[in-house]
Amino acid sequence: MKNHSRRSSGPPRGKQDKLVTACSYLIMTVMGLLCLLPCLHVVSKAFSSNTAVTLGEVYFWPNGWQTDALKYVLLQTDYLNALKNSVIVTIIGVVCSMVITVLFAYPLSEPQFRGRRLLTLLCMVAMVFSGGMVPTYMVFRSLGFLNTYKALIIPHLLSIFNLLIVRNSFEGLPDGVKESARIDGAGDFQVLTTIVCPMSKPVLATVSMLYAVNYWNSYFDAALYITNDKLKTIQVYLKNVTADINAVSEALKSMTGKTIHTDGMIACAVTLTVIPIIMVYPFVQRYMVQGITIGSEKG
Amino acid sequence: MTKAKKKDASLKAPLKTRLRQDLKYIRRHPAMYLMVVPGLTVLLIHKFIPYYGILIAFKDYNIFAGKNPLDAIGASEWVGTYWFEKLFSGRDFMKVLKNTLIINFSKILWIFPIPILCAIMLNEIERKTYKRLVQTVIYVPHFFSWVIVYGIFLSLLATSGVVNELLIALGFNKINFFTNTEVFRGILVFTEGWKSIGHTAIVYLAAITGLDMELFDAARVDGAGRLKQIWHITLPGILPSIVLMLILKVGHILDHGFEQVLLFYNSTVYEVADIIQTYVYRQGIGRMEFSYSAALGLFNSVVAFILIVGANAISKKTLHRSIW
Repeated sequence: MKNHSRRSSGPPRGKQDKLVTACSYLIMTVMGLLCLLPCLHVVSKAFSSNTAVTLGEVYFWPNGWQTDALKYVLLQTDYLNALKNSVIVTIIGVVCSMVITVLFAYPLSEPQFRGRRLLTLLCMVAMVFSGGMVPTYMVFRSLGFLNTYKALIIPHLLSIFNLLIVRNSFEGLPDGVKESARIDGAGDFQVLTTIVCPMSKPVLATVSMLYAVNYWNSYFDAALYITNDKLKTIQVYLKNVTADINAVSEALKSMTGKTIHTDGMIACAVTLTVIPIIMVYPFVQRYMVQGITIGSEKG
Repeated sequence: MTKAKKKDASLKAPLKTRLRQDLKYIRRHPAMYLMVVPGLTVLLIHKFIPYYGILIAFKDYNIFAGKNPLDAIGASEWVGTYWFEKLFSGRDFMKVLKNTLIINFSKILWIFPIPILCAIMLNEIERKTYKRLVQTVIYVPHFFSWVIVYGIFLSLLATSGVVNELLIALGFNKINFFTNTEVFRGILVFTEGWKSIGHTAIVYLAAITGLDMELFDAARVDGAGRLKQIWHITLPGILPSIVLMLILKVGHILDHGFEQVLLFYNSTVYEVADIIQTYVYRQGIGRMEFSYSAALGLFNSVVAFILIVGANAISKKTLHRSIW
């Protein structure tokens, strides 16, 4: 967020103003720490020795460095396979979602398009009224989606919220450029791919991020539609590991002879699931903040 | 807005002319209609065909009655409102409805004001790099899935976790947070806040930065301090965003928090934590009481629908802004 400090510049004047500023710094620093410290604590636990974890002597830095537990969770559990599934679902999902969303949004953004109102109404209905969990499950089961990637992708393929963001952005483009392309003989599809999309790049980038987060973080669809262990995503993996942590811990002991407290094992699994997000966060954060601004401007 | 009006004008033309124009447009722009096919297909599979599945709630559904579960709907016997009567006369319905309302109202009550205050305080921070740092940090939990939030708090709140160590150091007894019916809803509210406050604060911050800066300058010239500026300019300025957010939250009071509860709860806290959707999931998918849970699911969908459409109507009337 650039140049967003819109308040009075210069130093605060009265005593009261100073107090307000001081409180703001203090409280917001505390808020930041409240968000940061839990993560730091869990990551520290993952790298701490068994004794330190058992005695509760790990705070916000590893105590008695070890990486055996982490290596074990990384290599001997389903982690890598689950990571692979999540990556595949997210990449295929985002590409399909973007194609579908852009194609759908363009006609909806054209005022001359006949059927615009009907289609918009259908989208609204789909957004606010859900058939419910059981009926949707039956449809997916009947269509043979259970235990396939389809079951993980289709529920997030088209987000009406994202569709509206893209539509609104297309509507905001100047008509002149599109008109002149049409006069030059470009068809509807060409106008969309050569004019409209390139002009909407920032919004499209933001919306792909929104989709990516949806796919990556989705837990329930995988829990509901997937029973095959080979297709489990990283979210289901983490939940399963925390549920059977005793078994995982036993397996580690019988394999390596090392005892690691279950708390430490959970910390390892959480750490490994958090790392991919923290790694991409700096790159996507800009787009997400843009997404907020777009979201608050629409309507 | 102007575009919509143009469209309105064209609607006033006689039906015949309109149809001729429609046909002409459709013939000239076949690509436009091809473009909506993929999107419509998705809506059909994921939204509209399931509407047909709602019939399950009015039938004695036997999943094996047909070639596939969908076909079986037609083959199952009608029972009218049997499942609804069973549902509304049972004890479970009131329990899960009560839990859903209590949990989601407590979330609004405890969490709602915090992001507003955070946004105002963030705006008071003058050092840009520090402001950006705080923003970045408080925004992170929003990206964590509920499973990760669950994992983090499982680690923090474990019997030998850091929170219990702290309680002992302060002279209290250990609490088994995940099985204690007295504190469990508190955990749901707290973790919801932990995950969402930063994100919502930035939504409000975007609204604050959109305010007219001259108002602040004028107020300063008139000798208004920071608090007065906040009270008389910032707060009224972002009031529409606040109201909109509140309406949205109330609109989702019945269908919010499913994944969170599903991950955090366990059988020892069902009494205080079981909400409508988790109950539907356990009864419907887990115990295969398909018709019974489809009835509850339909109740949930209908009330949620009314709430959201109602919320939007209020928003349109008071703020002249539609939620979507």
